[in-house]
Amino acid sequence: MADYILEMHHITKRFPGVVALHDVSFKVRRGEIHALVGENGAGKSTLMKILNGVYQADEGTIVLNGEETIIRNTTEAKAKGIGLVFQEFNLVNSLSVAENLYINRLPKRKGRIDWKAINREAQEFLDSLGFNFKATQKIEQLSAAQRQLVEIAKVLALNNSLIVMDEPTSSLTTTETEILFKLIENLKKEGISIVYISHKLEEVFRLADTTTILRDGEVIDSAPTATLTRDKIVEKMVGRSVDTEYPHRSCELGEVVLKVDNITRNGLIEDISFELRRGEILGFAGLIGSGRTEVAEAIFGAEVYHEGVIEVGGKKVAIHSTHQAKDEGIGLLTEDRKETGLVLDYNLIWNITITNLNKVRRRKFISSKAEMQLADQFSKELNIKTPSLKQYAINLSGGNQQKVVFAKWLFSDVDILILDEPTRGIDVGAKYEIYQLMNQLAEQGKAIIMISSELPEVIGMSDRLVVLSGGKKVGELNREEATPEAVMSLAVSN
Amino acid sequence: MESKENSARKKKIVSFLREWGLIFAIVIITLVATIIRPAFLSGKNMLNILRAYSTIGIASIGMAYAVIGGGMDLSVGSTISLTAVITMLIINNATVATVAPASAALLALLVGILLGALVGAVNGAILAVVNGRMAESFIITYAMQIVVGAIAQAIVKGNFQAAQYRSGLFKQFGMGFTPVLFMIVVAVVMQFILVKTKFGRSLYFLGSSMKAAKMAGLKVKQVRFLAHLICGMCAGLAGVIVVSRVGSASVLQGQNYELDALVCVAIGGTSLDGGSGSILRTVLGVMVIGFMMTALNILGVQSNAQLIVRGTVIVLAVALDVLNKSMKLREVAQ
Repeated sequence: MADYILEMHHITKRFPGVVALHDVSFKVRRGEIHALVGENGAGKSTLMKILNGVYQADEGTIVLNGEETIIRNTTEAKAKGIGLVFQEFNLVNSLSVAENLYINRLPKRKGRIDWKAINREAQEFLDSLGFNFKATQKIEQLSAAQRQLVEIAKVLALNNSLIVMDEPTSSLTTTETEILFKLIENLKKEGISIVYISHKLEEVFRLADTTTILRDGEVIDSAPTATLTRDKIVEKMVGRSVDTEYPHRSCELGEVVLKVDNITRNGLIEDISFELRRGEILGFAGLIGSGRTEVAEAIFGAEVYHEGVIEVGGKKVAIHSTHQAKDEGIGLLTEDRKETGLVLDYNLIWNITITNLNKVRRRKFISSKAEMQLADQFSKELNIKTPSLKQYAINLSGGNQQKVVFAKWLFSDVDILILDEPTRGIDVGAKYEIYQLMNQLAEQGKAIIMISSELPEVIGMSDRLVVLSGGKKVGELNREEATPEAVMSLAVSN
Repeated sequence: MESKENSARKKKIVSFLREWGLIFAIVIITLVATIIRPAFLSGKNMLNILRAYSTIGIASIGMAYAVIGGGMDLSVGSTISLTAVITMLIINNATVATVAPASAALLALLVGILLGALVGAVNGAILAVVNGRMAESFIITYAMQIVVGAIAQAIVKGNFQAAQYRSGLFKQFGMGFTPVLFMIVVAVVMQFILVKTKFGRSLYFLGSSMKAAKMAGLKVKQVRFLAHLICGMCAGLAGVIVVSRVGSASVLQGQNYELDALVCVAIGGTSLDGGSGSILRTVLGVMVIGFMMTALNILGVQSNAQLIVRGTVIVLAVALDVLNKSMKLREVAQ
C-alpha cells in the first residue's frame, strides 16, 4: 500500500488573465489530518476544486492510492472515494435530515421507498456521530450549525477514504465544534485522511499533523505542524513585500464626517464603532464573512441595523433606505459590479447618470443633451475607454466597468464613498488607475472606506485600518502598526 | 466563416424585424385585406378599428408601465368592470336627478379614473411592502382581480345595467374619434413621463434589476407603487370609455382585458422580464392585433380559426423577443 492516499504533482491552473495555481504539489498521507492554509485567493479552493473535478488542471497529475487518475467531474470524484464538505449548504430545506442523507440512494422494498428503514438507519447514524437532532426533522427547522453537521454527515455516510473540509467550523458554535473535532479524530483513527481548510490557526494546531501554506497560487511551505509556530505560519501566508505598488499620497485629514457607534445587526455584526475623517482612506480588513460588507450595507441603508447610532457631519441620522443614505451624502460601490453596481444591458450614459438625475434635468425634465454632455465629461475625467457612451456596459472590460461604477457615484456628488472590493477581478494597470483615483478623491476632500480582501492593497492604500473578525471589530491599526502579520493575526483572532 | 456571415445576416433580420416589424405587419395585413375586400381601407373602417381597440390600447399602456417595472397587473379586467358599473350608476342617477349632463359626465370620468387609481394604489402598496417582483405581482393582482370583481358583482347584484340616457357629453366619450383621441393623449403623456422624468428612468432600472436599482439609491418602493397606480388609472379610464361606447355596464365588461393587454404589450416588443419597452410600440402592438382581428372578421374567417391565428401571433412575438435576447447574449460572449 502506498504511503500517500493523495498526491497532486506540479498542478498549474490558469484562468484568463491570472495564474491561479503555479506548479503546486500537494501530498496527503494515509490517515493524517492535513491543514491547508492561505489568504483569500491564495488558491486553496481552486486546488480542491481540481481534486473534486470541478476544474481540470492545465498541467500536472493526480495520483490516488498510488495510481494516476483523471477526475473529470464531481461524480467521478465521489466514485473514487473523495468526499467534500462545503461552506455553502447543498441541502434541500423542505426535506427531512434522513431524506437529505439518502437522497441519491433511497432503499426500496417491493418497489416502494422504505421510509421506516430510512428514518431508523439515519437516526442510528446520527446518534453514532453524536449529533443531537432527529432524522425526521426538516432542514429548515435546524440552525445553521446543525445544517453544517448534516452536510458533514452526508459526506461521512458515503464511506470515503479522503474527506476535504472547507471551513467546516465557520458557522459552528463551540459545543458543535467540539463534537466535530472528536468526530475528526475518530475518523483519523479509522484511517481516513482529512484535508482541513481553515482560517482559524488554533484549529490547525489542534488537529493537523501536517500543514501546507499556499500563497499567490504557490506552495510556500509544507511541514509537520509541530515544527511550525503561529507567527511563522502567518508570516508565510502574507510574506510578500508591501511597497511601491501603491501610489503615494500626502494630505491633511479634516474633520470627522462619519461616526458609527455600536452598530449591531443581529447575528451578523456586533457593536461596530469607528470614525471617518474628510480626506481619509479607512481600510476595512478581515476575512471573507468577517462582516465588512454587512457594515457597509448597514451604513448605506441597504440592510437594517438593530442597534447603534450613525452620525454624518456631526448630526445624528437614522438611515432606513439607500436613497436616504444618498441624500446624506453616502455612496456604496458594491462588491458585485455585474449584478448590483451596473445594469449591464443599459448604456454608459444611463448607468452614470442614474444616481443623480436632477443634474441632467432642464426645466424639470431629463434632457438627453445634458445627459450626454455630463456623462462624457465624467467618462473623460475617469479615462473610461469605450468607443461610444451609447455602448452597453456589458461590452466593457472589467476595469472600465469599475470606472463606470466610480463615475456613477462621483456623479451623485456624495462625500462619503464606501468601496467594497473596488479592484476585484480587474487587471494590474486598471488597479493602479483606481488607486490613483482614490488618492485624488481623498485629496479633494472625500472620505473613503475601502473594503478589500487583498491584504497588501488595503494596507498600502489606507491611512488607518479597522480589522473585523466574526462580525466584531477586533482592532484598529494606524499606518505604522499595520503590518501584514499584525492584520492577519487579528483577522484570525475571533 | 460562412456561419459567421450567416449569423450576422440573421442578426440583421431579427433587429430589422424588431425595429420595423410592427409597422410592417400592419401594412401587410392592410394590403392583403384590401386586395380581397377593398372596403377594408375605407376611412370608416379604419376609424372603427381604432375606436374599437382604443380601450384595450389605454389599458395596455397602463400594463406596459407595470411590465417595464418588472411586474404585471392581472386586476385590470376587474377594475374595468368595476369602473364601468360605477360610472353607469353615476350617469343613470344623474340623468334621473336631471343634473347637467356635462357635469355628470366629468364627474363620472373623474370617479372612474380615481377608482382605477385606488385599485392600482392597493396593488402597488402591497407590492412595495413585500418588495414584490413578477411572481408576487402575479399572485397579488390576481387576488385583487377576484376581490374587485366580487365588489362589482355586489354593487350591481349580478344585473346588467342599461343606459338611461340618449345623448349628452358622456355619450360623446365613446363616439367618433373621441376614444382614439383619449388613447393618443394618454400615449403621448405616458411616453413623455417614461422618457423624460426621474420616475420613468427609475422604472426601467427597477424592472431591469430591483437590486441594482436599490443599490443606486433609487426610491424602489415609491416607483413600484406609482407604476401600479398609473396602471390602475389607465384601467379606470378604459372602463369609463367602454361604458360610454357600449351603452351598458355589466360585471363581465372587463373580462380578459388583462390578458389582451399583456398580449399587446408583448407584441409591442416590451420584454416580459421588465426593464425595456416603449409606449409607442405598445400602441403599435395593439394596432397589429386590432387590424389582424378586423381583417379576419371581414374576410369571414371562423371565430375558432381566428383564435388560432391570434395564438400563433402571440407565440411568434415572444419567440422573436427570445431570439433577440439570445443573440444579444451570444454577441457578448464572442
